[in-house]
Amino acid sequence: MNKDLSKVRNIGISAHIDSGKTTLTERILYYTDKIHAIHEVRGKDGVGAKMDSMELEKERGITIQSAATYCTWKDIEVNIIDTPGHVDFTVEVERALRVLDGAVLVLCSVGGVQSQSITVNRQMTRYNVPRIAFINKCDRTGANPERVTEQLRDKLDLNAHMMQIPIGLENDLVGMIDLITMKAIYFEGDSGEKIREADIPEDMMDDAVEKREALLEEISMFSEELMEALLEEGDVDVKLINEAVRIATLSLDFTPVLVGSAYKNQGVQLLLDAVESYLPCPTDVTNMALDLKDDEKEFPVTNDPDDPLIMLAFKLEDGRYGQLTYIRTYQGTLKKGDTVYNNRTGKKVKIGRLCRMHSDEMQEIESCGSGDIVALFGIDCASGDTFSSSEISCSMTSMHIPEPVISLAVIPADNKAQINMSKALNRFTKEDPTFKTFVDHETGETIISGMGELHLEVYVERMKREYDALVEVGAPQVAYRETISQRAEFNYIHKKQTGGSGQFGRVGGFMEPIEDEEYEFVDKIVGGVIPREFISSCDKGFKKSLKKGSLCGAAITGVRCVINDGAFHAVDSSDVAFQLAAAGAFREGYLKAKPTIMEPIMKVAVEGPTEYQGAVMGSINQRRGMIIGTTEEGSYSVIEAEVPLSEMFGYSTTLRSLTQGKAEFTMEFATFKPVPKSVSEELIKAYQEERKNG
Amino acid sequence: MGNNEHIVNNPLRALGLEKNAKEDGSQAIMGLVMARAGLGKTAILVQFALDCMLLGNKVLHVSIGEGVEKTRTWYDDILSLLTDGEKIESIPEIMKNRMIMTFKESSFNKALLEERLDDLVQQNIYKPECLIIDGYDFENNSKESLEEMRNFMHERGLKMIWFSAVSHRGDERVSVDGVPAPCHEVDSLFETVLSIKPEGDDMMLDILKCDDCAMDPGTTLKLDPSTMLIQKG
Repeated sequence: MNKDLSKVRNIGISAHIDSGKTTLTERILYYTDKIHAIHEVRGKDGVGAKMDSMELEKERGITIQSAATYCTWKDIEVNIIDTPGHVDFTVEVERALRVLDGAVLVLCSVGGVQSQSITVNRQMTRYNVPRIAFINKCDRTGANPERVTEQLRDKLDLNAHMMQIPIGLENDLVGMIDLITMKAIYFEGDSGEKIREADIPEDMMDDAVEKREALLEEISMFSEELMEALLEEGDVDVKLINEAVRIATLSLDFTPVLVGSAYKNQGVQLLLDAVESYLPCPTDVTNMALDLKDDEKEFPVTNDPDDPLIMLAFKLEDGRYGQLTYIRTYQGTLKKGDTVYNNRTGKKVKIGRLCRMHSDEMQEIESCGSGDIVALFGIDCASGDTFSSSEISCSMTSMHIPEPVISLAVIPADNKAQINMSKALNRFTKEDPTFKTFVDHETGETIISGMGELHLEVYVERMKREYDALVEVGAPQVAYRETISQRAEFNYIHKKQTGGSGQFGRVGGFMEPIEDEEYEFVDKIVGGVIPREFISSCDKGFKKSLKKGSLCGAAITGVRCVINDGAFHAVDSSDVAFQLAAAGAFREGYLKAKPTIMEPIMKVAVEGPTEYQGAVMGSINQRRGMIIGTTEEGSYSVIEAEVPLSEMFGYSTTLRSLTQGKAEFTMEFATFKPVPKSVSEELIKAYQEERKNG
Repeated sequence: MGNNEHIVNNPLRALGLEKNAKEDGSQAIMGLVMARAGLGKTAILVQFALDCMLLGNKVLHVSIGEGVEKTRTWYDDILSLLTDGEKIESIPEIMKNRMIMTFKESSFNKALLEERLDDLVQQNIYKPECLIIDGYDFENNSKESLEEMRNFMHERGLKMIWFSAVSHRGDERVSVDGVPAPCHEVDSLFETVLSIKPEGDDMMLDILKCDDCAMDPGTTLKLDPSTMLIQKG
């Protein structure tokens, strides 16, 4: 029997760090009967929240890997991905958004729209994900959901409107008024599981009526039927209002705002109702795939369970059940024992076991259909691979993956650690496309690189805990780049005649800077001065030269190499000879092309009490940072700046001591910019010394 | 990229105020752009700011009631129109001349601005030469507060401060120079007052008052209604 897709919701829960996402998910699982007891993130019972299944997550109180789970609310099947809040793990958030149809943006009622909320919102916009906002922690001192709603409008440019108003705030929070049904809702029982509807308190009636009117006026812009009903001035059908909100939310023109406190068990069930009523089901969303047989032409997936299968592997995990691959099915049906194709590798894969995951517990199933998010066992693939049945060859739209900006050397303590480290790195690189590893052939060290200090720190910790790989780590290194700033000609002859057959090749042309691309090779050879079979040798020679620049040993990017002249020898010319000639030509041209060193610049946002604004600005300035802007809201302020990554090491300690631990910062990669002359000279000197000593 | 490319059609030059941005602050001016809500005051202020930045001045853009991101977008949009789609961030020599500060309407005052500016100047982080104050509440601030702002400009050696003010269709109060409410009683504090007015399909920039301008009061400049850029000629 085909599943009714209108009763499926694939949702993500995203937010700034410490906004209470995991606590909220814990409550959702409790109210949907997936778990039978509530454990807090940093709870005294030592169990930890259900979704934080990695030991490290429980210890740090933050979510590192998004765990997928599903639950049933009323007759709706909800697949949830709990996504991490720290910006270093942004790729996890992005991947989750790629496969989900809707999202809940969780905000802290005190902190409001914070830097990571802006990043997450931008990601949701990038993937056209309809969203509802949940203003959490309304029980906290300083809670102000109205201010947060205003920020959603001002800072995130969302047409956000409160669907509820809280009854009491901070310690006095006891329930909320639903502005659609115009009822007061109270959450009673030990864990808020008993919902009691009552009349709106008299002293709040006027406010509720006024806010409802404003809300309905806004929503009526999206439904003529509702507008007519409002003009008739009778009772407006709740179903009609909800339909209008749904239409507006799906078109990304409206963001319903719900309020509550997951920790105090307030408002979570109403949020689940809103997920059902306002967020899209798989058929509401148009997902596009690329036809690999037709020049990657885009086509919409059908969601039809009878059509050929298309599914995307969006997450890999190697847990206690072995290798797990999380997939989202976009059309067709997958059954245990089916054979599918990995469209990237062209390999056939037989599906052994199929299961639904509930954090780290699983439930085996026989088949899954369109719109489902499930896990497969023992599939060899990388994150982002598209699988399909044999009739079609396609790929889901590629995912946006940022380049790593920081690296450090990891040195295994002994042989056993060496073997375990290799296993761990092999798995981590498959799981996380922003985590990369390679061996530096000059030092023999294994280098890992990623998106930030915490990102790498977590992987080192996981190596120790999950793989028993004891490693020492070197100091973090910034991933510098080299590039050229002007056009330069080259004309290089490679000639060697010392016994045996000789080597000969001449490569002439020029190199010039290009933007937004790492490398381009242009062949303008005419008259066969370099034979066709050696053109690709020139390309190879240039590419090899790009790996290490002569200034500081960093990779070279942004170069177009054009060859337009050359010479060959009928006997002595070979693939190797032309590769070496191209490498020589590159060396010759590179020095004339005014090479410069570029460094990663991070977008940094520091949030904290206004009294520390001067000190924080000073600390940014000392770090070669450029302050872009400051936002002051009462006693709280945000400083946005661009700071070189190399200057940000240890900043958390500095910030803590400057602000008595009251400020926090987030950073994400912004761009590469040329380093100042003094820094460039230091880097060049250090590299020269390293070469001399090495 | 040479700065001259951008200043061919700059508003400071159009008004003859370029010299004030080039000099040392001894000829400081306080300017005002007025219009009804939504007619493009910020676009004009940002053009003045960009002009100042391109002339090598450091600009502090104080936005009252708007976020940093929105203000940045204004700069990107205007610069993009003046160039071939360039963004401020991609031109470091211009970018380093801009800082944005945003405040809530209720919390902004001269003392707070002074405190913030001291933080910047004393730590040698940023020393602004031109100040843009977008969203100043003229209705609820006294003439004394504006006088303080004027003194502040002189004390700090600022070359210019540009304000924006919202005028209302129903309020017909005007000063002798024709400056509408709510600025009709404080117009003496400003050297330059401009007003944006729609005329049919066109947008005009009326020069109501301009002590240092090359143009006489009563002169009108034409704005491109789709971009709000001052048109050549």
